[in-house]
Amino acid sequence: MTEAAGGVVAIGWFQLLLATGFVIFVGVVSIRLSLGITKDLAIATVRTYVQLLALGFILRWVFGINSPWLVVGIILLMVVFAARILVTRSPDAPKGIFSSAFVSMALTGFIVTFAVTGVIVQVEPWYLPQYVIPLAGMVIGNSMTGIALSLERVFADMDAREGELLALTALGATPWEAAHGSIRLALRAGLIPTINSMAAAGLVFIPGMMAGQILAGADPVTATGYQIVVMLMVAAATAMGSVVALLLTYRRRFSADGVFIEKGFRAEK
Amino acid sequence: MLQVRDLVVVLSGDDGDVRVLDGVSLELPAGVVTDVIGPSGSGKTTLLRALARLLPDMAGSLELDGVAASVIPGSQWRTAVALLPQKPAIVGGSVRDNLLLPWTLKVRHGAAPPDDTALRAALDRVALDVALDRDASRLSVGQQARVALVRTLLTRPRVLLLDEPDAALDELSAAAVSELTRDFAENGGAVVRVRHHRSDDIAHRRLRLVGGSLAEAGEVAS
Repeated sequence: MTEAAGGVVAIGWFQLLLATGFVIFVGVVSIRLSLGITKDLAIATVRTYVQLLALGFILRWVFGINSPWLVVGIILLMVVFAARILVTRSPDAPKGIFSSAFVSMALTGFIVTFAVTGVIVQVEPWYLPQYVIPLAGMVIGNSMTGIALSLERVFADMDAREGELLALTALGATPWEAAHGSIRLALRAGLIPTINSMAAAGLVFIPGMMAGQILAGADPVTATGYQIVVMLMVAAATAMGSVVALLLTYRRRFSADGVFIEKGFRAEK
Repeated sequence: MLQVRDLVVVLSGDDGDVRVLDGVSLELPAGVVTDVIGPSGSGKTTLLRALARLLPDMAGSLELDGVAASVIPGSQWRTAVALLPQKPAIVGGSVRDNLLLPWTLKVRHGAAPPDDTALRAALDRVALDVALDRDASRLSVGQQARVALVRTLLTRPRVLLLDEPDAALDELSAAAVSELTRDFAENGGAVVRVRHHRSDDIAHRRLRLVGGSLAEAGEVAS
């Protein structure tokens, strides 16, 4: 591997094996104490190897080709994967939310990523993969987590409050008015992890991107600037993504006539 | 006032589909209190929800004063045909917040909410002696049921659908609720009550819901 300008100590196969030794140690402890996590741990370790190595080689290839279409295509692919994960992570959500998840992730992913690279960092050319792809990954990954929490919460909360929704609808409330309390709660639930990590950043931990840049030899103050941009960008993307996803999906739990479809009335079980 | 023709409601249960309402037709004239009786699970609550258009799916036709339900938006219909669910839904905040909740909704945009004097008078009529500033979540179930009833009555619906309105009430409050219901009908409203326990003498007719159909359960002279 080529060494970065800051003089990063390269990690070779031997170093990787050493690091794997820690995991093997934990695996042995797990077997001895019958903790039952050995299999999960082994699978997770293999996935880490395969996925990250693949990523490394793909990124090297992408950086070499340096094509705007390829960059946009890769972001789209990330959005598709994220939307699929979202659907499986929201068991209480109505069927058919894939398209809503895809739209909300794509909207926030592209808008926030290119706002940062184009307006704030002003990279040349606009699609410079070294900047655009890692930033898009952070935007999409974090907003996916926020959206998943929001969707999970909004449908669970509406189910828990079906009596209240019925009474509100009986008083003339629209679906938006009936669902509003649950939507507010869901939005908060989606944003809390981001807000927590913003509050703890710098006090409890060095955020990932800053840590990476410092390890790569960057000046800590320069790294700070990037990290602040990234944290704000992630917060904005999470909030935007959650709002869009909630607005696109909550109505699916209501009939055309504006009635909340309670558990007992759902064909899907 | 309310015309109901051939209501069919099919619910999917564990043993396949059940026709909970199997072609129910009914007329609710102004000034008349109708009691619906029948065994548990016979679909009485479903019938009330169907009349208020509060079911996700149903077939049949509803008309209010000769106007078909299909040309009236759902939220508009429900302000005229008001269902009071059996379980009172109390939102966070004071008794006043709960009573004024309907006026925070778009469907009543521009309508003047009742003032404190009107709220107080309405609570007195159901023998509910609690302050308007009282935290509503701390009321007893019977008190909450009466707050919910007063809230619905204050919106002045044309048709009132009551699902066991006195299930959680003591004799005195139940009598007050009965009297209020009678007044509502005498002022030109139509009332349907689902009843289980007590009987009073304000109903003009009683219908029995069995096997998805309604049958006269005996006229009650008033």
